[in-house]
Amino acid sequence: MRLLKTLRNRLRLFSLILVLVAGWVGAAEKNPQSVQVRIRTILAGSKSDEFDPKLKDMERQLKPLKYRSYRSLKDDTQSVPWQGTGSFDIPGGRSLTVAPQEFQNNRVSLKVRLTEGAKPELDTTVGIQNKGNFILGGPPHEGGTLVLSISATAQ
Amino acid sequence: MRDCENIRESIGSWLDGELSAAESESVRSHLASCTDCGEAQRRLERMHLALKAALTSQAPQIEFTSFWRGVERRINEKRTWYEDLLDGSRRLFTAPRVAWMVPAVIGLLLVLISMDFVPFRGSRNSFASVESIDAYGRSVALLRQPETRTTVIWLYQDQEGENETAEDPAKSAPTF
Repeated sequence: MRLLKTLRNRLRLFSLILVLVAGWVGAAEKNPQSVQVRIRTILAGSKSDEFDPKLKDMERQLKPLKYRSYRSLKDDTQSVPWQGTGSFDIPGGRSLTVAPQEFQNNRVSLKVRLTEGAKPELDTTVGIQNKGNFILGGPPHEGGTLVLSISATAQ
Repeated sequence: MRDCENIRESIGSWLDGELSAAESESVRSHLASCTDCGEAQRRLERMHLALKAALTSQAPQIEFTSFWRGVERRINEKRTWYEDLLDGSRRLFTAPRVAWMVPAVIGLLLVLISMDFVPFRGSRNSFASVESIDAYGRSVALLRQPETRTTVIWLYQDQEGENETAEDPAKSAPTF
């Protein structure tokens, strides 16, 4: 009798704890306040075999691009609010704006615009895994090619 | 009503002297004032008395010698490791421990999921999905690196001046 009563009380206590934990987990999942956007600008070329040690963590992503050299030019991080816009200066008079759209199923949707001066070069909307990245490349720069790694982390 | 239910659950423990002083006092005072619970107490006491009488009259006739011999043998016998393991796991999974463990494991899983530690929640490097793309007249190739699960958007000028979206990126984008 006493054992059953104790068990029942313990289960009640744990149910309460579980509800609180589940609520906390749900809140963390649904209500990120902003997105930390990181833009890494890399100059890829084929004139040397230099591989910038700062890009070590991206080596497996960059090697398939088949350039011989990779040099980090810039590494910017901004905290951008939802529906807000973060603007990043890219070498060569370019600019990249990133606007986080929504967060669903642990994926962040980003509206990305690349411009050269006032001329738009690319408009795209991309959904990436939270804390993941994608690569945008191709614009020529100083005899090489610009490669941008765009990553986002919901906060 | 709720009180009566709780008190009736506690009468057995109270009669066996298992309750704390405060709980005993609470049960005692309720029984003194509640007719129904008092009746439940008397029923239980009658049953206790009947059992005690039956045991007292029958006990001298029970042959305990073989029972004690068995107890002694079990105390002295060397236990194997798997018997110890079996007993250990039995103790581990007794009801009160399970009552703690099951919710604790669920809680731990929820915390791990919220902290992004659980692999089934999806790889951090899963492919990006491109919902829309406009390269303003330039050619664009969309590539996926299966090894790193990276999505690559590649802008390039057509070498022959054509203006079309690449169907075969490896062929159209010379750097890949």
